[in-house]
Amino acid sequence: MKTLIAIKEADCNWMRETLPGTQPLLAPLCNKPFVEYLIDFAILAGCREIRLLSDGPLSQIEEYCGNGSRWGIELTYANLHPSDGEPELLRKNRKFCGEERTMILSGCTFIDYDKTLDYRGLASIDSGGTIASCPGGSITLAGPLEPSLTDQPLPPVGLTPIGDLKSYCRIAMTTLETGSSRYVLPGYGGEPGCAIGRNVTISKTAQIHKPASIGNNVRILPGAVIGPSAIIGSNVIIDKGSTIKESIILDNTYIGEQLEIEGRIASKNTLIDPESGVTLAMQDPHLLAGINGGATALVLWRKIVHALAAALLLLLLSIPFAILYPLLRLRGKWQDVPSIPNAGLAESIASAFSLDRYPLLPGVLTGRLAIIGSRTHENRAANHTGTDCRPAVFSYAETEAWAATESDAAIVERYHALHSTPLGDIGMTIQALINRIHYRNPT
Amino acid sequence: MTITEKLSSGITIVELCGTIDASTAPELQRHQAISDPTRTIVIDLARLDFLDSSGLGAIIGAAHRKEESGANMLLSCMNQKVRRVFDITGTVRLFHIFDETAAAIDYATTLRKSQ
Repeated sequence: MKTLIAIKEADCNWMRETLPGTQPLLAPLCNKPFVEYLIDFAILAGCREIRLLSDGPLSQIEEYCGNGSRWGIELTYANLHPSDGEPELLRKNRKFCGEERTMILSGCTFIDYDKTLDYRGLASIDSGGTIASCPGGSITLAGPLEPSLTDQPLPPVGLTPIGDLKSYCRIAMTTLETGSSRYVLPGYGGEPGCAIGRNVTISKTAQIHKPASIGNNVRILPGAVIGPSAIIGSNVIIDKGSTIKESIILDNTYIGEQLEIEGRIASKNTLIDPESGVTLAMQDPHLLAGINGGATALVLWRKIVHALAAALLLLLLSIPFAILYPLLRLRGKWQDVPSIPNAGLAESIASAFSLDRYPLLPGVLTGRLAIIGSRTHENRAANHTGTDCRPAVFSYAETEAWAATESDAAIVERYHALHSTPLGDIGMTIQALINRIHYRNPT
Repeated sequence: MTITEKLSSGITIVELCGTIDASTAPELQRHQAISDPTRTIVIDLARLDFLDSSGLGAIIGAAHRKEESGANMLLSCMNQKVRRVFDITGTVRLFHIFDETAAAIDYATTLRKSQ
C-alpha cells in the first residue's frame, strides 16, 4: 500500500500568525512535527512509499524529512492545486500510485492512533472510500484490495481537526498526557510522562512536574518550575524562578525571570491565549524574547556589499538629489513613493536617476533594508512574511521585463531571494537602475 | 533548448529539453503551441535540466493568456530540480501538475469536453 499525504495552505491559515514561516506539516505537536505523526500512522498501516503533497512551498519539509530513509520508507514530494479533490490527487499522482492500494490522508487533522496496534488491515478493508472523516480532513482508500497481512481486526481510527489554536493546544496537551505509551515521542525519559531532549541543562533547584516534554538545547535556571503539562520546545531558556504550567513554549524563546505562564502559548516575544486567541507582544526583552541564531557569514557579507553599494549610490546621487529635491518639492511634484511623475525635464531627470529611492538608501547603511530584494514601498504585506524576503530599496522584479503584475513581481523576488549572491545583487541593482530609465523613458 | 511538439488524443504535448534561461526564454514565448492562447497544451518537463526566472516568466505569461481565452496549460513529469523552482516561487498553485503525461492528456481531454 502507498500513501498520499495532502495538505492545503487554506486548511492551515490560522498557523500563519502563531508560527510564521513554518510549513504547516512541520508545526510542532508535543515537540514532534505534525508530519511525523502522519508518517508514523502510514508506516503502521504498512505503507513503505509515501508522497507529501501541498499547494504551498515544500522546501522546508524536504530539508527536514529528506528521502524518508530515517523511517525506512521512500518519501517523495509533489504539488497539488488548491482546487484538487481526492480524484484529482489520484489522477495527478497516477505514476506513483500505480495499480496499488493507496491511502489518502488529507487535511490538517490529527489521527488518533496507537503505536501498539496493527493497522495493516487497511490495505484489505473494503470500505468503499472514506474510512474516517472530520471537518477539514479525511482518510480515504482507493485502488484494488490487497491480501490481508494480519489476522487482527482493524482498530478504530479517529480524526480530530486542527482548525485553530485552541484545538492545536488541546491536541498537543492530550498527546503529552497520553505520552509515549501511544505515540512515538522525542526525547529521553527515565520515567513515563517526562521526556527530555539533547543538551538540556537543568539547575539543581529547578523542579519538573510530570507530564512534561522538553526539547533540545534548553536551559532551565535555578528555581524554575516546569509543569505539570508543560511543553518546552528547542533552543529555549527559562530564567530564574519562572513557572510554566499547562503551557507550550515554542522553539527559540526566552522566558524572563519570575514569570508565571499558565495556559498560554509563548512564541518568541509573543504570548498567546489559545482559548480566546488574544495575543500579546512583549516589548521588554527581559520578560519574553526570541532567541536568534547569529548572522551567518553569507548574511554578513551580503550586508557589507549592500552597504558599500548604497554608500556609493548616496555619493553619486547626492548632487542631483540636492538640486532636484528642493526644486520638485517647491513645485509640489515630489512624491516620496512610489515614483516621481514623468512630466517635465526635472522630473524626468529625477526619475532616470531613481531619486525617489534616494531617501531609502540610508536604511541600507543601518542594515534595515537591502539594496535589492523585495519592494518595501508598495502594499504587498502578504509577500513580506516569508523568511526569504528582504525588504529593499530596489526590487528584483525591476530587473526583469516580464513581471507586469504584483503576483509576477512576488514570483521574481522569491526566485532571486534564494538564488542571488551578494556580488550578483550589485549587478542586479545596476540592471534595475537601467530598467527604470528604460521603462520610464522608452524613447 | 529543444522544443518538440507531439499530438495525442487531440491535445498538443510540448516537450522541453535542456535549459530555459534569459537567452532561450524568447524562443519559448514565440513557439506556436505555447503562444497560441486558444490551444490547450501539456508541457512535458521530464528532460528540462534548468529553468530560471525568465523561463518561468515565459511559462506563466503563456499560461495566463491561455487561461484568459478559456484554454489550459498543464505540466507533467516535473523533475526535482525544476519542481524546486516552481516550489520556491509559489507558482505551483497556478498550475495543474501531473507525474505522468498520459494522465495530463486524460485530464485535458476531460476539460475540453466539459467546456
